Amino acid sequence: MRTDDLIRALAADEVKPASVGARLALLPLALLMAGAVLLGIIGIRPDLGAALMAPITALKNLLPLALGLVALVLAVRMARPDATVPVAGLIAFPLVALALFAYGLSQMPMADWGRGVMGHSAAFCVPAIVLTALLPLVASMRAMRAGASTAPKRSGALTGLACGALSTAIYALHCNEDNPLFFVTWYGLAILIVSGIGAVLGRRLLRW
Amino acid sequence: MTETDADWSALMRAANGGDTRAYGRLLRLVTPVLRGIVRARGRAFSPEAQEDIVQDVLLAIHLKRHTWREDSPVKPWLYAIARYKVIDAFRARGQHVQVPIEDFAEVLPAEPQADPTERSDALKILGQLDPRSAELLKAVGLDGADAGETGRRLGMSEGAVRVALHRALKRLAELRERQVS
Repeated sequence: MRTDDLIRALAADEVKPASVGARLALLPLALLMAGAVLLGIIGIRPDLGAALMAPITALKNLLPLALGLVALVLAVRMARPDATVPVAGLIAFPLVALALFAYGLSQMPMADWGRGVMGHSAAFCVPAIVLTALLPLVASMRAMRAGASTAPKRSGALTGLACGALSTAIYALHCNEDNPLFFVTWYGLAILIVSGIGAVLGRRLLRW
Repeated sequence: MTETDADWSALMRAANGGDTRAYGRLLRLVTPVLRGIVRARGRAFSPEAQEDIVQDVLLAIHLKRHTWREDSPVKPWLYAIARYKVIDAFRARGQHVQVPIEDFAEVLPAEPQADPTERSDALKILGQLDPRSAELLKAVGLDGADAGETGRRLGMSEGAVRVALHRALKRLAELRERQVS
């Protein structure tokens, strides 16, 4: 096929592909479904309203929500090939998390730190968050495929970060462990795992 | 912003508004520049392989055209796509290439050296498409038939031709990606 012929065929194609943003309409639905299944099984903590009055607990819920939304916006922007995306700004989130962790340490005698980190639901928390994130991850990865990121792996990781953090925000509605030693550790680990899955998927799926 | 930058952006805006002529013109303006880049960077490749890479970039521009934002100049966008695809194409052919950011502005447009109708990968890949898609691409590309005429020739409605053409181009891009990687 000569290049001129290809150009003629391209110019004749008037079907406009759907944008990343339009395709992302499925993400809220996926989050809603995954969240409903999770919370349907394990339930929302009965004292949620009162617990959120405590600043640390409020941060436990708000931090992953904010991280998820910011990461999602950045991931969408990164889907454009000519975009420069200020990913470095994301560092604020682990910094706040670290500060929370340090505060947690300061509130307990050293002998209790280990128990503080382990809490009573560590083994359940991480897989629950990761599993909840899978459906949203599939939905958003599908949307991102409409994009043209020049860094597929990084885009995938960012998409995973968004889904992991948003799923954590859902899980936090159930979780009654309000010790920063616990939630910084395990929420952080769960979010990292989903980001890693996103990076692996992105490398394969977001190439174009 | 240079004059071509404004011109190209205007053409692309018109193209997105459904002006297929403007779109064809833009692609024809961009192609020699792409060819210049590929030739400058890929001297190790045969003219046929170089032209294949140019076509890969054109297909990518087409299939990703919705990722351009109308309020930003089109050239950096075009160049980002070209850069990504050229690096990708070179890597797939076992070559590493550096494509500097400013390449697009400096490169001299080039005319095709070879008419890669005979030996190119593109032709082989066209043969791997399902017969209907291949026929469609030939009718629209080689013979320059419009959707209505193509439809009459292939016994399809005009709408079906439009959808099928889009699918055929996507399929073509996927096959080419797989062929070389």
